[in-house]
Order: sequence, then structure tokens, then C-alpha cells
Amino acid sequence: MSPKTGEKQNLIRRHNLTEIVEHWAIALSGLTLVITGIFELPIAGRYYITDLPGMKWSGDFIFSLELHYAASVIFITVSLFHVVYHVLQGHTGLLPKKGDLKASVEVIKSFLGRGEEPLFHKYLPEQRLAYAGMAVIIAGLIISGLIKTYKNVYAPDMSYALVMWATWVHNVFFVLFVLAFAAHMAAIVIKPNRPLVRSIFTGYISLDYAKARHPLWLEEISPRMQGAPVRGERETPVREGREEKEPVQEDAGACTACNVRDAREAPDPDCEAVRDHQENTSPGRKT
Amino acid sequence: MNDGKKGGISRRALLKATLTAALSVGLGSSGHAHTGAGCAVATLIDISRCDGCPERETPACIQACRQKNLLHVPEPVDPLPKVFPRGKTEDFSGRKHLTDRLTPYNYLFIHKAEVEHGGKRWSLNIPRRCMHCDNPACATICPFAANHKHKTGAVVIDSDICFGGAKCRTVCPWNIPQRQSGVGIYLQIAPTLAGNGVMFKCDLCHDRLLEGKNPVCVDACPREALLSGPREIIRAEARKRADRMGGHLYGREENGGTATLYVSPVPLEKIDAAIEKGPGRPHMAPVQRRMAKTDTLANSVLLSPAIGLTAGILAAAGALKGRKNSSPEEERKP
Repeated sequence: MSPKTGEKQNLIRRHNLTEIVEHWAIALSGLTLVITGIFELPIAGRYYITDLPGMKWSGDFIFSLELHYAASVIFITVSLFHVVYHVLQGHTGLLPKKGDLKASVEVIKSFLGRGEEPLFHKYLPEQRLAYAGMAVIIAGLIISGLIKTYKNVYAPDMSYALVMWATWVHNVFFVLFVLAFAAHMAAIVIKPNRPLVRSIFTGYISLDYAKARHPLWLEEISPRMQGAPVRGERETPVREGREEKEPVQEDAGACTACNVRDAREAPDPDCEAVRDHQENTSPGRKT
Repeated sequence: MNDGKKGGISRRALLKATLTAALSVGLGSSGHAHTGAGCAVATLIDISRCDGCPERETPACIQACRQKNLLHVPEPVDPLPKVFPRGKTEDFSGRKHLTDRLTPYNYLFIHKAEVEHGGKRWSLNIPRRCMHCDNPACATICPFAANHKHKTGAVVIDSDICFGGAKCRTVCPWNIPQRQSGVGIYLQIAPTLAGNGVMFKCDLCHDRLLEGKNPVCVDACPREALLSGPREIIRAEARKRADRMGGHLYGREENGGTATLYVSPVPLEKIDAAIEKGPGRPHMAPVQRRMAKTDTLANSVLLSPAIGLTAGILAAAGALKGRKNSSPEEERKP
């Protein structure tokens, strides 16, 4: 897990392997669910999708349902794992904070060239809001999907009102899920966010970038991160005079990565970001 | 002959009395326990008794069904919306008179078969309509819940929310539902791009079942070739009749079981070979429930929350334990 070579210099870990696997399991199974869910509508034959090479199956509602079920097993299992695993460890970095709505507006304005964006914790305020929104959507999809699945196998004659609610919650939340997914994709197209993308593949982002845009996160992790030697080129230009104008707060909140309340006094050695940085900057570091 | 007739009448009267009694005492703890209304109902169709009403222009069951249902099918818009991209519509509004097949205006027809069996020639008349399956894929996987199996056993399409995509017909082993283009809610949304009308089929007179009454076809039959009543009583009666005539059953196991049981004096494969099959004229071959192959995965889906919760608890406990046990020195091993 920890970087051992010089390839990782000037990088800081943003996601561990568990988080990366969670993300991609939910993303890929979710995408499969979207596609197979669409093919539960009678459109593949009508719109000649079944005539495309390798897509004949798309007109078979029962085969599509099997794929839908298979993807659901991954989607539901990992979603529930995600909630329990992080709640029990007190990971709260992705939960919305007070003022996130206002801050999100400022961030979006800054993307449009109006005003400066605020300093960030590990996640952007709109990321935290989007996470909460996606959590509600996924919860709705899972609950309604489980009701529909139970009906399909054990209770085709269950209350019509319940079936109707489950069906339409599933359909409406499907649309919301697709819109949220589109917004997620749009967010990584925005230039200032692009350096974050690598972390969902490799777990790491540039330390320069983190210092420039996520100083509150670095402060939470460890005071050693502040003023840490920087090597390599900056990946994102830092706005002029930003560090001086906006000093980091003295009293940082809980570390979202390691759950240490006062990271400066007791940096948690279990925090992978701290550990990685220590290893990268220690004199005996392998290169 | 007279004795037999009297005996027959007497037996039928006895059966009716039994069914009525069973209905009157109720089948369970539902809110309709006193009348039996709303309880699971099945229908028995005794092929040996149906003669197709030769003396009538239209068989009595079909006549009754059409009288009850024909007015409920709205007139399609003219012209029918163009359906992108295939342009295929289905319009029976000019053929409402058809009674020899299933159409959006005709939910019951008599299938005729000439069969040689046991050294005898049988001229059979077989009332055909929706089987009202125990676990109907047409209803369970309707994307808009426009089709539903009710506690009465009736599988009912809600024509107010059906888009006429015909998925129900595709997954029905007998392709029962019939589409009328140019009617229904799709006209209000995007008639060219989505939907293509409304699907229509027999609803087993669900409204009457809720009142504790029989479907109109059952009440109309002059030969009592059709019976309806509490599911288990009808199933037992069907078995008894089949045993008595050395006959055969259809609908008991088909597609995982249905609420319609045909009792036939001749093997069903001979009937299936003899009847005219095609659109609106379903086969009578053995049918496996295709959705059965999805049940294992569906059960896995139902188990997945427990798996995810358990895995999450174990993984978090392991991580927390590892955090407690580890010291900074151990973590900073060179």
C-alpha cells in the first residue's frame, strides 16, 4: 500500500485501496445496472439495438434481468459495505458540512471566472453535497429494487400500491442516478478538478496540488504537511499570493482520513496519507 | 339418459353448492372472509363439456365477455401516430367483430380441434383466454407496473398507465395480450418515440371477483363447462374430473402453475397439434417458467444487504483492531 519508491515522490495518498475498489465496484456495477435497466424497456428491438453486433441479447428481457440481478449483487453488497465500513471507523469527510451549499456556489462561480474558490478540505463542498445526494438516490434504488425482486420471486400478488410505489421510485431514481452520473462526469471535465482524477485510479494526487487547493486537508492530517519540501513541477497553477492571504486555520477539525481530532499533536501513524508522506520525505527514503 | 342427466344436474348442483359453501365460509383471514370475495380464485375449463354453443351465432361465454368489456376499449385516434423508427402499429378497431381469435376487442375465443384418440374422433371446442399465471412474468417485469397479479388470482392490465410496449406479450408463453395502437397514455407523452398503444386481455372479471361473483363467462356457460371458485377446491375438482375421465390437465404446471385448469379427455399434445396457431391463437404445448432461471440470482440479490453489512462490520472491526494494536514505531519500519 505505502509507496516505496521514488515514483511516488511529490504525491500524497487521497484514497486507499479499499476506497478505490468500493468506487469502481459501485461505478461499474451501477453502469451495468443502468444499461440492463434500460433494456428492461421494450426499446432494443424497436430501435434496432438488437441488430448491432454483439447486442442481440439486449432484446431478451429475461437475460437482461439476469445481468441486472448479477450487477445488483455487487452494487448492493458494496454499497452496504461502504456505509458500515466507514461509519464504524468514523470517516466523516464526505458528509456534508454546514455552509457547504454556500461554498459550493462560490466554487461554481470561481469555475466561471467569478471570484476565488475557498480553501478545501479533502473533498470539495459540492463533492460532499453530491455524495449525500447520490447516497439518497442509491438508497432509494436499492430499497425499491429489493421490493421488486422479492415480488418477482415470492410475491407477485403483493399489495399493488407497494408494487406501484417501488416501481416508480425505481424509475424516477434511475433517472436521477443517470443525471447524477452525468454531473459526476461533468465535474471531472472542469479543469481545476482534473488533477483529482488520478487518485481514483492510483490513490494519489500531487502534493503541490493538495497544498494549493486542499490545505485544510493537509492541516488536518499533520502539521508536517505544512511547508513540506516540494519536488517536481506544479500540476495546477496556484493563485498568486494565496497562501499568504488565506492562512490555514489553527483549529482544524477531525481528520477525515484517520479520524484524529487534533492531528498536529498526535498525527495518527495509521493514517495512510501521513505515513506515505513521512516515508516519502524521510532522509532514508529509497529512491 | 334421463337418469344420467338428472344425476349430472344433481352433481353439478352439488358442486355449485359446495363451491358456494366454501366461498361463504371464506378461505382465510382476509377482510373478505365471509363472502370469499377477493380470495384466490381459479377457473376450471372442462373441454369435454364445451360444445362451442352451435345453436348460437356467438358462443355464450364470448358474448358475455364482449358485452362486459367491449365498451371499455376506447376508439383510437385517427390517424394513428407514426411510430419511430419502425412505423409498425396494430389496429383492430376496424375488426371488432372478430371472435375467432384474441384481439384488443375480444378476450376469449373458442379454439376448435379435430382429434383422433382412443379409436374415436373428437370434435373439441376449447375456450381460450389469459391463463392468469401464478407468477406471471407479464406482470412482474412490466416496467411501469401497469400489469399486476391481484390476490384474487386475476392478472390485470391497467389500461390507464399501459404504454403498449408489448413487453408483456413478448414474455407471455402464449403471447396473450393484444395491442391496440392509437389509444392510451402514450398519446400524451411522446407518441412517436415511446409506447404504441395499450395492451388488452382478459382480467378474469376482477371487479366481479372482488364482489364474490363469478367471471361473466362462467355464469354465461349453458353447459357449465366453466367453473370458478376457491383455488384449491377448483384444483382438486380438476384433478378429480381428469381422473374420472382418464383425461389430462393443462395449466396446473404450465409456466409454474396458473389459475386456469383445462380438463381434457384427450392428450394435450394432440390438441396442440390440431389447433390453428398464430397471432391471437395460442398453442397448448407444455410451458416451462422462463423466469425460473432468474430466481437463484434474485435470491442472491435479496441476500446481498446482509452480505455487505457483515463484510463491512468484519472489515471495520479488523481495521479498528489493527489501528489499536499498531504503534508509531511499528508503522515506521524502514
